[in-house]
Amino acid sequence: MVKGADIVLQCLRAEGVDLVFGYPGGAIMPLYDALEGSGVRHILTRHEQGAVFAAEGYARVTGKVGVAMATSGPGATNLVTGIADAKMDSVPLVCITGQVRSALIGTDAFQETDVFGVTLSLTKWSRLVRTIDEIPEAIAEGFHWARSGRPGPVVIDIPTDLLKAKKEFSGPVKFTPHARPAEAKADGGFTDTVVALLKQSSKPVALVGAGAKLSGAITDLRRLLDKLNIPTFATVHGLGAVEPQAPYYLGMVGMHGTRAANMALHETDLLLVLGARLDDRVTGEPTRFAPHAKIVHFEIDPAQLDRVRPCDLPVIGNLADTIPAFEAELRGQTLPDFSAWRSVACGADRAELDPRGLAQPTIRFLDELFSRLPEDSVVITDVGQHQMWAAQRYRSSSPRGFITSGGLGSMGFALPAAVGVQLAKPDSCVLCVSGDGGFQMNIQELASVHRLGLPVKLVIIDNKYLGMVRQWQQLFYERNYAETDLSDNPDFVEIAKAYKIHAFRLKEDVMREFPVSQETGDQIDRFLRSPEPELLVFDCAPEANVFPMVPAGAALSEMLLEEK
Amino acid sequence: MQFHIRYRNTQGTLMRILNAVSRRGLDLPAVHAEAAEHDHQVMLTLEVNQKQVGQLYREWYGIPDVIRVGSGAAHTTAWSSHHPPAGVTLEESRPAARA
Repeated sequence: MVKGADIVLQCLRAEGVDLVFGYPGGAIMPLYDALEGSGVRHILTRHEQGAVFAAEGYARVTGKVGVAMATSGPGATNLVTGIADAKMDSVPLVCITGQVRSALIGTDAFQETDVFGVTLSLTKWSRLVRTIDEIPEAIAEGFHWARSGRPGPVVIDIPTDLLKAKKEFSGPVKFTPHARPAEAKADGGFTDTVVALLKQSSKPVALVGAGAKLSGAITDLRRLLDKLNIPTFATVHGLGAVEPQAPYYLGMVGMHGTRAANMALHETDLLLVLGARLDDRVTGEPTRFAPHAKIVHFEIDPAQLDRVRPCDLPVIGNLADTIPAFEAELRGQTLPDFSAWRSVACGADRAELDPRGLAQPTIRFLDELFSRLPEDSVVITDVGQHQMWAAQRYRSSSPRGFITSGGLGSMGFALPAAVGVQLAKPDSCVLCVSGDGGFQMNIQELASVHRLGLPVKLVIIDNKYLGMVRQWQQLFYERNYAETDLSDNPDFVEIAKAYKIHAFRLKEDVMREFPVSQETGDQIDRFLRSPEPELLVFDCAPEANVFPMVPAGAALSEMLLEEK
Repeated sequence: MQFHIRYRNTQGTLMRILNAVSRRGLDLPAVHAEAAEHDHQVMLTLEVNQKQVGQLYREWYGIPDVIRVGSGAAHTTAWSSHHPPAGVTLEESRPAARA
């Protein structure tokens, strides 16, 4: 006879799980009681939101399913932001929550929440387990849905009495999905249409999104792009998929995308979308998005088609299948000469940042940091101005080398996510860049960093404001800085020291020298190469802004390049 | 417009079908769910525009235990050629793309 808790852990092992993130509590205690000797390592965070973001970080950098555990009621509801985050960014995630005992469900018992109901609209699949016999199937099916198709979050809610109950157990099961009617899927025939469209086009472009990474088709994608040799740009989650030195690569597109990328997207007559949702942060005003273009949308999830703007040709399927098919069709074909268009789109007069922007000390600081990073580093950002500066400046050829909360834009993401990333990549330099607002949202995870001895490199871009909101207030609300002033921030250096983490501060003045002084350079090098966790607080000008910027309701071509 | 959705009556599947409607702020004036052979079927009456029809179809098809989605309108007339739904074949959308 085997306890339900042991069955859960054996099933997790069968799914390849050896690391979970969580926070114990009443209803899930039987599962914690069974952890020792199970082969599953548990990472204690200091808040359930820290656990779910850490699991996301682990999943995003490895491509494996991240697992978070929490107790019933507040433990489970604290997972909700992370679940929504994983849904938006297609992160494979399984959350296992304890529930009050079966007899109490529906009675408003202590720490009871309808977790199944609360998370229903945020999950790909979920299950409130009703008998101990259901546990193996629930876990097998949950992992199947978390990693299949467009990956996403799953919740498995298990009443505490089932975790304690015993049954004969013959071992984990495999899940086989029910047969469905033929699913919409691109047949091989789409390729001739795309090639025909290319031959009709004079200004084609390619937009690369997260699907390129999730599919694992990076090599095929890069070969295809080399063959096409057309102006190419990426969404924030597509960064790293395209070789950044490629002559046709224009960087990030969208609200804070490069001028060159946004202009090319506005002017194109044929847009090849490769694994991107066409989020509103990418399109700007949807009715004026790529106004002259036919759109060919390569996408694994049919639900993402036609959301913002109708596409002319959907190519439904995994990029790992559709890109090679497309590339094969291109072999032996002669495409038009796009060099004139390429010269315009990639021309020097479309420089990605205005000289004032480049002179910003914060941007110079990020450039210094990024240029000194070792190979195989991973950069994680929180949400806000620093996130966009980092996305603009970090040019990595590592597909999973830039991790951020893009779709949901969850402040507080970076620090716990960095915990998950560093555990997954213990030998890599993991650089976590946060703002002063977001850092305080999960600041308690400094304790996790210290306890685990993770050599995470933490940076706070401290402008003593909720900077992105303040920027919008400055530009669109007549400088009414309502409730965005954080000038009474705590001393982050002293806080880090209280968590026994070495910390120091750099004034932005040191970045006014160009090149930076030997002393500053050495400080940054030492910081990045330290075998210990460290915090660097960079004092940023309070009113530094992120440009280019496409205002809400504007077309991509109407980006602001500087303050008026 | 009436929609008929065949689904396996697993936990939450009907709720997910309804959620695809409610998250778009659409009213649900009529819902009728019942067993249908080995599965279940729900009939929904909704006031929707062409774009929402395509979005709903695709979102419903994305729910793991949804088997089939149908509507009162014939597929080929429910979507203009520029709004190919998940179930439309490439043969149908290809001419539109070339146009």
